[in-house]
Formats: sequence, C-alpha cells, structure tokens
Amino acid sequence: MNDLLNHPAVQGGLAPFVAALIVALVLGRARLAGLAVVAGFCTTVYLVSGFVFEPLSVTRRIVLLALAAPVIGILVDFAFTPIRLGNAILAVATGAATFWVFWPVLQQKDLKTVMLMGGGSALFVAWLVGFSQNFLSQHPIRAGAAGLGLGIGIGVTAVLGASALYGIYGISLAAGAGAFLLPQMIGGKEFEAGATFMLPLALTVGLLAAATLVLAQLPWYSLIALAFIPLAARLPAPEKSPLWIQAVAISACTLAVATATIALTWQSGGRLPA
Amino acid sequence: MSRLAVALLALALPLAAVAAPETYTLDPYHTYPNFSVDHMGFSTVYGRFDKSSGKIILDKAAKTGSLDLTVETASINAADNEKGNRQRSRDDHLRSPDFFNVAEYPRMTYKSTGVKFNGDNLATVEGNLTLLGVTKPVVLQVDRWKCGPHPINKKEMCGGNASGTLKRSDFGMKFALPVAVSDEIKLIIGFEAYKE
Repeated sequence: MNDLLNHPAVQGGLAPFVAALIVALVLGRARLAGLAVVAGFCTTVYLVSGFVFEPLSVTRRIVLLALAAPVIGILVDFAFTPIRLGNAILAVATGAATFWVFWPVLQQKDLKTVMLMGGGSALFVAWLVGFSQNFLSQHPIRAGAAGLGLGIGIGVTAVLGASALYGIYGISLAAGAGAFLLPQMIGGKEFEAGATFMLPLALTVGLLAAATLVLAQLPWYSLIALAFIPLAARLPAPEKSPLWIQAVAISACTLAVATATIALTWQSGGRLPA
Repeated sequence: MSRLAVALLALALPLAAVAAPETYTLDPYHTYPNFSVDHMGFSTVYGRFDKSSGKIILDKAAKTGSLDLTVETASINAADNEKGNRQRSRDDHLRSPDFFNVAEYPRMTYKSTGVKFNGDNLATVEGNLTLLGVTKPVVLQVDRWKCGPHPINKKEMCGGNASGTLKRSDFGMKFALPVAVSDEIKLIIGFEAYKE
C-alpha cells in the first residue's frame, strides 16, 4: 500500500482525483462542489510533503494560501453578490499576497529584480484571479475546463522547469478540475463553480507557476503563454449541446494552449531526447 | 624583587602564547563537503559542494575548540551539471525547491557546540546543521587529523576528514522519499585550514 501511495502518478493524479470526485459528489447539492479542487490539492500535499508550516518557506506559503482561498471563496459566493469591483479587489489582494509569498527570496535581491520578478509574478497571479473570477466563475464547465488546462499546463512546465514537486502539485489541480467536470458531463447537470472553485484554482496555479519561475528555471514567457489558458476557456462553445460536448470542446481549447505552453517551455530548455 | 617579577613574566609569556586559542581559516581550495546518497536502492550517488568557508578555533592545551562552516548550496556538484539535450541536469534538479531550494536558502551552516579530543587529536565535533531553515544536531567523527607546517609554504595548518550522517526529512527535504532518493545522507568533509 505504501509503495502505491509513494508513486508520483498516484500522489499527483489518482489520489487527488478520487478525493476531489468524492467531494464534488457529496457537496454538489450544497453548492460546494467547487471545493473538489482544494480537496485534490490537499490530498497531494499530504502524500508528498505533509502539512508543515515551519519554517514558512515559499512553498509552504503557497499551501497556506491554497487552504485559505476556499474560505474566502465561500464567503464571496454566499455573503456577497458578485460584482466587478469585488473581483478587482480579489485580484489586487492576490497580487499583494504574491509579494508576501515570495518575500523570503525577493528580500535577497536588488530592487530591479524585485520589481521585475515580484511585480511580474504579482501581475500574473492578479490576471489569472481577476479574469477567472470575472469571466469564468459563473460558468462551471468553462471554469472546469480552464482548471484542466491550467493544471496540466503548470504541471508539465514545472517538471520541465526543474521542479517535479511543483509539477505534481499542478497535476493534482488538473485532477481536481477533472473530477469537478466529470459528474457534470455524465449527469448532464451543472454544479456551482463560483469563487469557491475559481479562486483557489487560479491563485494556486498562479503561485506555483511564479514559484517555478522564481525558484527553478521556468522561462518568463511560459507565464505569458499560461495566461492565455483562461482566455481559451472563453472561446465560443456549442452552448445548446449536452454538457459533455461543451466540456470536451472547451477543454480541447484550454489543453491546446497548455500544449503550446509546454512546447514553448520544452523548446527553451533543450531538444527532444534521442 | 621587581627584576624577579619581570623575569618570571618573561618566562610565562611563551607558555601563555601556547595556551591561547588559535584560529584557523578553512582553505576553500582544499575544503569540500562531500555527500553520498542511495539512488533507487541500486547504487550510490556521490556529490559535493564546491564553495564553502569557515573557521576552526583550537585551544590544544585546554582540549577545546569550535568549528564554523558555511556552504554555498548553489555550488552543489553531483557530476551532472551539463544538461546537454535534456531539459535539466541532475544538479539543476538538486538546486530546485524539490531538494536544496538554493534561491530561497542559498547557504547551509554548521556551528559546533562542543569538541572532543583523543589525545592530541580532534576526535568528535558536536554541532548544529542549519539546512532549509531548519536547525538539527549533527555529530561529526573526525576520522583523520593532523596539524603542522605546510610541507611547501611552511605555514602552520591543520587538516583532516570528518564524517557524519543525517536524515534529510528532518530538514523538510521530503521529495522522492522513500524509494527514489534515500532519506539517509552520508557527509564526508575533507578540510584544510591555515593558522591566522
């Protein structure tokens, strides 16, 4: 059993998918199916490194924010009417949180690097959160498809960028998004996505991608390519078709952009192995 | 009476000089913390850190002393630094957050808390290793130890080998446990230090 749980495919794929699927099915009626993505991510964190927050490193700060995000998401969904100003505030707040996450590294750098690396990462995270909240959170199929593309995109590019840990974390987000989509595709009935799903997903993906840039070797332009994935989830889709067709069509768009991102990252690092 | 006091003082001065603690600066070109780790249960991977610095303070008469060692984690060298056609080399991966996380934790340090002598030779160093922001005790056995003049430049120096073991999971380095890369790391530090 331990051998099975130590396998990266189980830690990053199967286990988070199962955990997320259970959460989506159990909490779907309570409009909390969006918690599936956090359930998947937490399963992977537990299996790979455990929940330890001392010393509070960059990676542990990301996990901490990933745990806090659904609490804020539930609050946003159930206590407030969604408005653009609220989404803008969320985007700015997550951008500021990005500086807090990377401060242990940024404080060792010169001002120019802080502005470029910290500012660029903050902008990237704010963009993912702001756009996803504004244009995807009220569309569960589009939100799930964006999660699938973002998770696969950051998962594979992180491995190419020299961090298998962030790769596994990224893939677990894709597994969670897939588990969120699957019951909707099979049952033909939409879950609620909202900030409960979108905020933890966009924030965690954004921070993992930025961390792979700051702490490993992800090229900066891979972040720009990843930023197009939420846009791809807004492309026209057959709205009157069954949900599974919509999910397949939109996921194809997000996964195409994710594949392009992976190819770009691969090309930057080396050639195909013989 | 005063002549006698001056004579006694003059006799005692060289003894006091011998008894005083002596400071030795580690020679960065002949001091390398090496490590070995089990890979997949099949083989042992060896590596070292190319950049380190520090000091040894010894009071040979009192049989006391200390060791301070600072290691630049980005200088890790596990004999695979050129990525060639691959996306990354093993050393790139070792520098990433999966292992040494060098961007966030550029240094690891070892500060002794006590030393033990076996006769005139340094035998054991007890101290704390700080890695990835976590400080844990690590004991180093001094397997080899010699002090004396350098054969060529005649400067006074000490040198030797020290070894110890640690569990990387104690320091939060948990990636690829337990199968791919073993938890137990063997440390072997070869060092030479010149007297200041």
